[in-house]
Amino acid sequence: MSAYAVEVEGLTRRFGAFIAVNDVHFQVKQGEIFGYLGANGAGKSTTIKMLCGLLTPSEGRATVAGRDIARDPRGIKRVIGYMSQKFSLYMDLSPRENLEFFAGAQGLRGRARKIAVEAALNRADLRDRSGQRAGDLPGGLRQRLALASARLHAPSVLFLDEPTAGVAPDARREFWREIRAVAAQGTTVFVTTHHLDEAEYCARVGLMVDGRLKALDTPAGLKATHAPGRFLTIEGAPKAAMRAAPGLMAVEPFGLRLRARFEAAAPLADPARCAAWLADQGIAARVERAEATLEDVFLALVGVEVL
Amino acid sequence: MTTEILAVALKEIRQTRRDPRTLAVLVVAPLMQLILLGFAVNLDVTHVPVVLADADQTAESRAFAEALLAGETFEAVAALPDPEAAAAEVIAGRAAIALIIPPGFAAALRAGRAVDVQALADGSDAQRAVVAQNTLTAFAARWSLAYSAATGQAPRFTQAPVEIRPRVLYNPTLNSRVFFVPGVAATLLLVVTLVVTAMGLAREKEDGTLEQILVTPISSEALMLGKVLPYGLIGLFDLALAVTLGAAIFGVPLRGALPIVGLGGALYMLTTLGLGLFVASAARTQQQAFMGAFFLILPMTLLSGFMSPISNMPAWLQPLTLLDPMRHMVEILRGVLLKGASLADLAPQLLWLAGMGLTVFTAAAVALRKRLA
Repeated sequence: MSAYAVEVEGLTRRFGAFIAVNDVHFQVKQGEIFGYLGANGAGKSTTIKMLCGLLTPSEGRATVAGRDIARDPRGIKRVIGYMSQKFSLYMDLSPRENLEFFAGAQGLRGRARKIAVEAALNRADLRDRSGQRAGDLPGGLRQRLALASARLHAPSVLFLDEPTAGVAPDARREFWREIRAVAAQGTTVFVTTHHLDEAEYCARVGLMVDGRLKALDTPAGLKATHAPGRFLTIEGAPKAAMRAAPGLMAVEPFGLRLRARFEAAAPLADPARCAAWLADQGIAARVERAEATLEDVFLALVGVEVL
Repeated sequence: MTTEILAVALKEIRQTRRDPRTLAVLVVAPLMQLILLGFAVNLDVTHVPVVLADADQTAESRAFAEALLAGETFEAVAALPDPEAAAAEVIAGRAAIALIIPPGFAAALRAGRAVDVQALADGSDAQRAVVAQNTLTAFAARWSLAYSAATGQAPRFTQAPVEIRPRVLYNPTLNSRVFFVPGVAATLLLVVTLVVTAMGLAREKEDGTLEQILVTPISSEALMLGKVLPYGLIGLFDLALAVTLGAAIFGVPLRGALPIVGLGGALYMLTTLGLGLFVASAARTQQQAFMGAFFLILPMTLLSGFMSPISNMPAWLQPLTLLDPMRHMVEILRGVLLKGASLADLAPQLLWLAGMGLTVFTAAAVALRKRLA
C-alpha cells in the first residue's frame, strides 16, 4: 500500500471544449489535512468528484487509499466519506433516519449499524433532536449531521467540498475543531474552501486557477515563496511618500492604512527605522510589523483578488 | 445486497408516509378515478331523449309511442304537435331523436296498408344514433307483428326464413362498464407506478441526495430494487382495491382465479416501474420526468385496446400493440374477471409481460449506471 492517501497524476477532465481540470499532479499524505483553494469554477469540485468516483477522468490517473479510481470505483466508495457542497441529506427525514439509511447503503447491518448510528448522533450533538426533520435543523447542525453521515463507516479519506459554505463564523470554528480532531485520529481530510483563514488550518494547500494547480505547499512555504519579504502596516502616511522608500517591493492600501512589503534585507523593513525615516520627512506615522497572509500569495499568483 | 435494498426500501416508505401528497397520488387518486371513470366511461345506450310529434293523435298512434317509450332505451323529453318544431329540438340538441307519426297512421293500419313513421336522429354521436336506429327498426317490426296478431289481420311483416339469434357470452347484457373497469384499473396502475418512480428519482437528482447515495458502494441494481419494491407493493394493493371496488360498485364479475391477476399485475409493474426509472435516468428535473412519463402514458393507453378494439386499428399498427404492456394487462384482467380464463389461456400475455419487464428493467439499470457513473 502506498504511503500516500491520494495520488494524482496528470488528472484531466473536459466538458466538451471546456477543460475543468487540466493536467493536475499532487499527493496527499496519510492523516494530512489537505486544502484545495480556488475561485468558483476553478476545478475544485470536479477534482473531488473524480476522486470520489462520481466523474470519470478524461485523462490521467489517480489512486485513493491505494485503489485506482478507474479500476475500482466501488472499492474506493467503501473507504471514503464525501460531503458535498450543498446539504444533500434528506430534508424530510430525521437525523436518525438519514443516518440509518446511509449506514445501510454502506452495507452496515444489525449491531454494527446501530452502533455507528448512535456514535454519529453523539458526534453531531444531535441526540436530543434525532427525531426532528433534518430540514428544520439550523445550518451549523445540518453541516455536522452531514459530516457525521460521511464518517459513519469510518472512512480512511474524507472529501469535504466547501463544507462551511453559508455557515456562521462560530459554527465554522466549531466545525474546523472537529475536522482537526478527525485528522488527529489518522483520517486523511481533503477539503476545498475559499475561506483563506480556513486554509491556514491545512497542513498543505493547493491553489487551483482555471483548472490548473498553480502552487502547492504548506501555508508558510507558500508565503515564503510567493510573498517573500517583510510586511509592515503603516497608519498616517500617504502612499506616494512610501513609494520612495528604499527596498520597497509593494505597497497597497489596507483599510485606512497601508500595507508595505520590503526586501528581507532592507533596513526600512524594521518598523522603528521605517517610522524614523518617515519622521525625517515630517510625517508622523505609526508603523507595525505584519505577517504575510495567503491573500498576499493569491495576489502575487493570480494578480487579482479572486477569492 | 439485501441490506442495501431494505435500507433503500425503508427510506422510501418513510418518505412516502411523511408526504401526504405522494400518498394521495398513490392511493386516493386512483380510487377516485376508478369510481369516476367507471361511472363516466359508459357506452351503453339508454335514456335516449326523444321528442315526439304525433300528428295522428289516435289510440293506435298513442299505443305505438307508449310501447316505444316503455323500455329503458328511449325517454320522451317533449311532445309537440308540429314535425318542424320537433326537428328543431334535435337541431338544438335537446333531443337525440325526433319521432314523427304522420296523420293517417291509424287509418292506414286499419286498412292494412304500410305506413312510414319518420325518425330524425342526431348523428353527431354516431354510436348512439346507430343503436337508436336499430332499436327503432326492431321495435317497429315487433309492434307491427303484435298489432296484426291482435287485430286478426294477415301479418304484413312475415318472419324472415333465416333468423339470427345472437347470444352474448360473458357479458350477456352488454354492460360496457364491466368491460371498461378492468381497463381503467390497468391505466391507473400505469399512471401511479410510472409517475411516482420517475418523479421520485428525479427529485433525488435535484436535491443532490442521489450524488450522496452514489458515493456509497451500493450497486445500481440494489438501489433500483429498493426504490421500486415499495411502489410495487402499493401498486398491488391498488390493483386489489380496484378489483374489489369494480365488483362491488360496477358488478364486474370475478369468474377466474385472482392470483393470476396478481401475477399479471406484478409482471406488468416490472415494466411500468422500469420505465419510470428509465425516464428519470434521462431527466434532469422533476418537471422533465413528469413530461417524459406523460409522453409514454398516452400512447400506451390508446394502443392498449382499453378504449377501442385493437381489431379496429390499421393492420400495420396492430402488431405494435403487442409491445404495449398495458394491452396484455387489460387482456389478463378481462380474461380472468369476465371469462374465467386459466393460467394456460393467458400464458402468452404473461410471457410478453415477463419478457418486456425483464428487458426494460435491465435496460433501466444499465442506463442508470451509465448516467450515474
